[in-house]
Amino acid sequence: MAKKEMKLEETFEKLNQIMDALEKSDVSLEDSFTLYQEGMKLLKACNDSIDKVEKELIILNENGEANEL
Amino acid sequence: MGQAYSVTEINQYIKNLFVRDRILSNIYIKGEVSNCKYHTSGHIYFTLKDAQGQLACVMFAGQRKGLTFRLEEGQSVIALGSVNVYERDGKYQLYANEIVLDGQGILYEKFERLKRALEEEGLFDRDHKKPIPAFPTKVGIVTASTGAAIQDIINISKRRNPYVQLVLYPAQVQGAGSAESVAKGIAALDRLGLDTIIVGRGGGSIEDLWAFNEEIVARAIFQCKTPIISAVGHETDVTIADFVSDLRAPTPSAAAELAVNDYRTFQGLIRDYQRKLNREMQQKLVGYQNKIKELRLRLFYASPAYQIKQKRQFLIDAEQKLQQHMNRRLMEKRHRLELYIARLEGLSPLLKLSKGFALIVGEDELPVQSISKVAQNELLTLSLLDGDMKARVEEICPKNRGC
Repeated sequence: MAKKEMKLEETFEKLNQIMDALEKSDVSLEDSFTLYQEGMKLLKACNDSIDKVEKELIILNENGEANEL
Repeated sequence: MGQAYSVTEINQYIKNLFVRDRILSNIYIKGEVSNCKYHTSGHIYFTLKDAQGQLACVMFAGQRKGLTFRLEEGQSVIALGSVNVYERDGKYQLYANEIVLDGQGILYEKFERLKRALEEEGLFDRDHKKPIPAFPTKVGIVTASTGAAIQDIINISKRRNPYVQLVLYPAQVQGAGSAESVAKGIAALDRLGLDTIIVGRGGGSIEDLWAFNEEIVARAIFQCKTPIISAVGHETDVTIADFVSDLRAPTPSAAAELAVNDYRTFQGLIRDYQRKLNREMQQKLVGYQNKIKELRLRLFYASPAYQIKQKRQFLIDAEQKLQQHMNRRLMEKRHRLELYIARLEGLSPLLKLSKGFALIVGEDELPVQSISKVAQNELLTLSLLDGDMKARVEEICPKNRGC
């Protein structure tokens, strides 16, 4: 889980880098499009990484096994 | 009457009785602190009392390391020391070497001792603190399944982010076996690979919260690979668990706030990124479009068609200018001409003709200026203003007019 976590933060970091790159005036149009597409893909990945299903509380038993309620 | 003793002698005698007494030389005495005075010399004078009696006490500056808290009126304490006689006053008192708080005080002492030991061992070191994940998907909770704490955590977590999976290990959080239960719960949740674990309970007395001051809980937290937020009691309650945990929350509610990210904020963040990305791209496109526009304009100016048009325009302009200059010049000349005409009019022979003079032209078509130029019978033309007359020379008569 921590891996996935870091990925989300890394994604944000990557997005920041893309913005910085796009801000530069000497980037070619082709490169800009590539950057933009990559950014959009990352954004979608961010959104998709959130499992948008409301979760019920899982209560474990004494042995730490899940008893879904 | 027997031998009379001096006061000093009897005091010394009694002092010896005290000194010889094994019990009095090393004794724990419990009571309530009163008349407590911290002397500038560093000695502490106080009285221990209970319902029935009181005992004068002193702790010398040299023994101060036996006191780990500030002695205050009304505290229930246990003092270790020796009871001895102060000969000058003829009174006995307790010379205390060590003072600990009684009851809760003992717990406090235990707390302090464990805290010191674990701190020395390095369990509280910053280096061991794991960062709390900013975007968790699964959060574990070790607390009682009934009670306000779990309800608070569920409510706040759901409000902030309903997509986070909460996993509860229902632990026994007070009473015998509670520390073991909490420790077991931490280990059990750690195995599930969650993002964060909240360990805690609602408020209570120091005894109620005691499980979180036990070494087994401290070690379970330290060994846990998942980042742990401790949330024990109220803001003012500080437990060993708080020191070992990766982050201390003042209350279970606060722990939920710290553990579970706010989904709307997250969405906002994503939206901001999206907006920024679009804006950057838009700006890029506008920039390129402007460049194209500029190039197109330059190309247009450089095109042969434009050049021809430009030259044609130049020609038209030149022609116009030429014409204008020409016209002006003509006008100037015409004015001058008129001027001359006006002047000439003044000198015109025609004017003379109107005053009785006539222009005489001979047959040779030349004006006649002398009679020598005409012959008898020559046909002369006499011009007047309104016409000519033909006349024949009848006679030539020379005359000297003196000019």
